[in-house]
Amino acid sequence: MKGSSAQVSSDFKHDIVFSDLNYAIDGKSLLEDVSGRFEGGRVHSILGQNGAGKSSLLRCLTKEWHPISGDIRFNGQTLQDQSYRELALKRSVLPQNQELAFSFQVEQLVMLGFDAQGLALNECATQLDDVLEACDIRHLAQRDYLTLSGGEQKRAQLARVLAQIWPQNSLADDAFTGKWLFLDEWSDGLDLKHQVCLGQLLRQWSRQGLGVVMILHDLNQIMQWADQCLLLKAGQVHSQGDVSTVMTPANIEAVLGVKVGIWQPQGSAVPMLFPLQGQR
Amino acid sequence: MRNTRSLWILSTALLLAAGLSLQSGSVVLDWQDIWTGLSERQSLVVWEIRLPRIVMAALVGAGLAVAGVSLQALFRNPLAEPGLIGVSSSAALGAVLVIVLGGVLWGEVQSWQMSLAAFVMAAAATVVIYLIATRKGHTDVALMLLAGVAINAVAGALTGLLITVSSDVQLRSVMFWMMGSFSGVSWQGVSLMGVVGLIVLARLLSLSRALNALLLGEQNCLHMGYALQSLKWQIMGLSAVLVGISVSLVGVIGFVGLMVPHMVRLWVGPDHRMLIPLSALGGAVLLVLADWLAKSMMQPAELPIGLLMALLGGPFFLMMLLKRRGVGL
Repeated sequence: MKGSSAQVSSDFKHDIVFSDLNYAIDGKSLLEDVSGRFEGGRVHSILGQNGAGKSSLLRCLTKEWHPISGDIRFNGQTLQDQSYRELALKRSVLPQNQELAFSFQVEQLVMLGFDAQGLALNECATQLDDVLEACDIRHLAQRDYLTLSGGEQKRAQLARVLAQIWPQNSLADDAFTGKWLFLDEWSDGLDLKHQVCLGQLLRQWSRQGLGVVMILHDLNQIMQWADQCLLLKAGQVHSQGDVSTVMTPANIEAVLGVKVGIWQPQGSAVPMLFPLQGQR
Repeated sequence: MRNTRSLWILSTALLLAAGLSLQSGSVVLDWQDIWTGLSERQSLVVWEIRLPRIVMAALVGAGLAVAGVSLQALFRNPLAEPGLIGVSSSAALGAVLVIVLGGVLWGEVQSWQMSLAAFVMAAAATVVIYLIATRKGHTDVALMLLAGVAINAVAGALTGLLITVSSDVQLRSVMFWMMGSFSGVSWQGVSLMGVVGLIVLARLLSLSRALNALLLGEQNCLHMGYALQSLKWQIMGLSAVLVGISVSLVGVIGFVGLMVPHMVRLWVGPDHRMLIPLSALGGAVLLVLADWLAKSMMQPAELPIGLLMALLGGPFFLMMLLKRRGVGL
């Protein structure tokens, strides 16, 4: 594999390691010998064209789909041996599309996440408040989910997903150790303020031990928030590694089929990528 | 607290409705008589005719409303109702089938055999509708309703055909199976519906949190740690038990599972921990009242209960459809 991670920690206790994953539907191969490793406590991104296998990989890693062959170790144990009940306490998943058609209040919706942890309302009042605050939906707590705007609905669902793995004391240095968030295009539909705010929070929680695996299409969001990136092309791994080493114009052109330029703006810690084709 | 208050309100309403129904009928019964002691004739009417009938109406109402709630969670849509999607008419077909076949094959047909056959057909119809309407965890509601129309047509026609060609007295009338009736209810039937219904209700109530998660979609339900496959099988089986037994005992009564859960949701929201008990009570109140109306409106004639429910439920269904116009089903 090109550009493997430089730092390899000695134990795999909080990592997701997957090797030679194959998955196919109706004879069409979606994943071919996909191998890689996501370290706990870091933010990982998956990049690729539509149909490159990003969501398929996410579904295999969350045990929604069972790969035809290959091995997945989640937090040091075989994924297949861990029940959904056990997994729900360690990892939470935000799918790309939501289909809720019933009038839950926002607060009720978020409580469903704590319910999955087995917590009742009187046991998690402060935690509920933390989560509402993080997603900036406290002022919407009593509103009917179905009457919210698209971006507000997204934040409410994000809060529910967070609630499922939210720790007792979210301020502790290792509050999120061993926990994972899988996010399929979480920033889609959010306004810039909330994108930036939640991106920062993801980075903060990752320093407290949270592992994040997210699918994003915006190259610069990956540059800003991800530590590592896995590039997928037609169901195969093109490269994986630190963002600074794999997010090169050459790799991106190979994977996305678009020439990009790279530019280091003044006052920005990370370089920007922008398409060179299709400009006016 | 608001939730406990709603439970009290509906329980009181149920008692009042039962009282109302208890004293109405061709044998006059005053409240005074109840205190001073009933005549032999009155006592017979109360214990052998009116009381079992009222208890049965309450149990069937509760069962059908909760069957609606659970099917609505399975299909993630408030329009899923055992009558509309063909589960009830399939149950009726099952009961009629076993009477005709049983008459030929093994003679006298027991009432539990009818209930079992009705349950099997109800479960089969639910599975078929689910397989038709839900793909990759997403339900196509239009497909669900249209498949229901088709199943209703076929099951209704076959039921009518069997009744027409057979002369078995146990078959009763086409009217009974299509429109339902609480007349001639026995304590034996009440105890079957009561024991099985309460067990099923308790089981569904214990699945409340999983049912809540299922409203978020099958994918989310799985990721929140609930056993999705087993949950779906349990919903299909348990709702078929409720529909199957009630149809085998009192025929097809529509719209209870549509109207009651919808109104309860408007009142307390979609959380199943409250939705299930309140829908059970609400369904009981609705059918006890409807049965009282059916038997007292045109005395001494009796209106078929299903006809009354269709009169109420049809416009209600249309209203729900109109509300969804523009947003899709």
